[in-house]
Amino acid sequence: MSDGIIRIRDLARRYVMGQETVQALRGVSLEIRRNEYVAIMGPSGSGKSTMMNVLGCLDTPTSGEYWLNGHEVSRLSDDALARVRNKEIGFVFQTFNLLPRASALSNVELPLVYAGMRTRERRERAAAALERVGLANRMDHRPNELSGGQRQRVAIARALVNQPSILLADEPTGNLDSVTSEEIMRTFAELHGQGQTVVMVTHEPDIAAHAARVVVLRDGRVESDRSTERAAA
Amino acid sequence: MTLGSRLHALVEGVAIALDAIRANKVRAGLTILGIAVGVFVVTAMSAAVHGITAGVEHSIAAAGPTTFFVTKWPIAINNCNGSDQSCPWRRFPPLTLEESRAIAQQPGIKTVVAHLNTSVPVKYQDQELGGVGVDAYTAGWPETDGSDIIMGRSFTEGEDAGGSQVVLVNEALQQRFFREGDAIGREIFLDGNRFRVIGVYRPVGNLFNSANKPGMIVPLQTAHRKLNAGWRWMDLTVRPRDAVPQAEAIDETISALRGHRLLRPAEDNTFFVSTQEKVMELYDKIVGMFFIVMIALSAIGLMVGGVGVVAIMMISVTERTREIGVRKALGASQGIILWQFLVEAVTLTLIGATIGLAIGAGLSALIRQHTPIEASIPPFAIIAALATSCITGVLFGLFPAARAARLDPVEALRYE
Repeated sequence: MSDGIIRIRDLARRYVMGQETVQALRGVSLEIRRNEYVAIMGPSGSGKSTMMNVLGCLDTPTSGEYWLNGHEVSRLSDDALARVRNKEIGFVFQTFNLLPRASALSNVELPLVYAGMRTRERRERAAAALERVGLANRMDHRPNELSGGQRQRVAIARALVNQPSILLADEPTGNLDSVTSEEIMRTFAELHGQGQTVVMVTHEPDIAAHAARVVVLRDGRVESDRSTERAAA
Repeated sequence: MTLGSRLHALVEGVAIALDAIRANKVRAGLTILGIAVGVFVVTAMSAAVHGITAGVEHSIAAAGPTTFFVTKWPIAINNCNGSDQSCPWRRFPPLTLEESRAIAQQPGIKTVVAHLNTSVPVKYQDQELGGVGVDAYTAGWPETDGSDIIMGRSFTEGEDAGGSQVVLVNEALQQRFFREGDAIGREIFLDGNRFRVIGVYRPVGNLFNSANKPGMIVPLQTAHRKLNAGWRWMDLTVRPRDAVPQAEAIDETISALRGHRLLRPAEDNTFFVSTQEKVMELYDKIVGMFFIVMIALSAIGLMVGGVGVVAIMMISVTERTREIGVRKALGASQGIILWQFLVEAVTLTLIGATIGLAIGAGLSALIRQHTPIEASIPPFAIIAALATSCITGVLFGLFPAARAARLDPVEALRYE
């Protein structure tokens, strides 16, 4: 078996909306290996959001197979999926999605809480994750006391704290200015350099260009799948 | 779901609930008020009943546990509709003093106290009260009544036989008439007759006879001669000698009465003998009804609170849809989300219960201060109040919490 951390075969996802059936994904096959940095692109309606949801185990496919880190995850129950998300996936969202009432540290701790880790170890791990993204001095700040870039880095720390198989980012720079976007992209590059598998969904070509491989979806199918110059370099 | 994550969700849930209360003051206030009313009604009323029961038990203890009553009518909740079939005791002859003496002569009997009651207008100097309850007894009454004589004395057999115009007043009447100075030796007018106050007593409050209402005790003969108290409704309280079993004393009493009334063996008794246990049974029945009313009232309060819980929790779930999505994305199971929202709901109801308990405790302290009822909140009522409010929180919080737990993470994350 190859070291494909994500292996997808003939993946389809249909939605029934009233009388209409929407074919969001129409048979996608894809393999992503450990320590790859992949951008998934495509115009709106291409199925990239659905792809992101299925990859993140937030949604299950109508048909096809999805193997994540050696486990078939396309037919799991809600709670089993929750455990997979907790262990294997670190989400970074466009709108950060931090809990407004909680400090940076508490936000980063949350996945560890759901993993059932004891308080002391949790604190240490969360603090280490915040240090890793350069926010050691902002641990007690609430999200509204942080800049956009800082918030996104808290979110990245939260995504990394459980040492997930993949870091899954959905338009991670969509709400950031270009300078901050570059900062976040540098952080991703560093994490990738440290061995982290990164999958990023975006519609911005210059953001996608930071990845080593770009998969373009169109009408629910893979239109192209190629390495960028960065990968060659 | 581990204990750790449950605990964390508990602390978080409480904090979020407190936030939600601050954010939705009116809704949260109404919810808390409803629960508080429900809990308050239960605690205040059970405190009062608790105190009254203690009083009744005290009066039974004072009367002696083997004391029993002889009456013309049954002591029970009966369905007398006025016909002779449904209430045969209407044709029974009234008890007489002769019969009372006949019972008293039995070897197992220590005391027989005959009793009548009436009510009269009473006047002291320029103060007048209408319809004050008067209990008329024979001289042995302190032996079978729970009341304490706190000042002066009771009347003698001679004073009773001679129809002396002497009276004992209760504390409530003493307060009304003789706030300053001694009540003993004063002259008051009962239905226009001059009476001399010889004592002050503290009555035993009970459900039927409020202790804080003015009341008086006079000798039986005096009541009959001067206050128009008829013999028709006379009842007897019989106290057996200390070592004599109650059943034996009752047998003696029944045969003495039957002998006196010349009843043939085939004929039924034309009187009723009731033990204190029977009276307690009646009391318990009435308290039971009281409790049903009280539970109904508090149920209304809890329903109001419960509907409030549903409303405020639905708002909380809707407002935090996206947050629920994020929590699910980070690995929160349905169970942990459910738990978190239930904690939030129960926090609301527990705050209500605490307020209700506090008000109930305050009221029972007031009752204790201003009436002789030893009102106190029984521990079971505190536990019951807290448990009921928890259950209300869980029951009414369940629907919104389940909705939150079942949210589809994709939809929830997309929610604006």
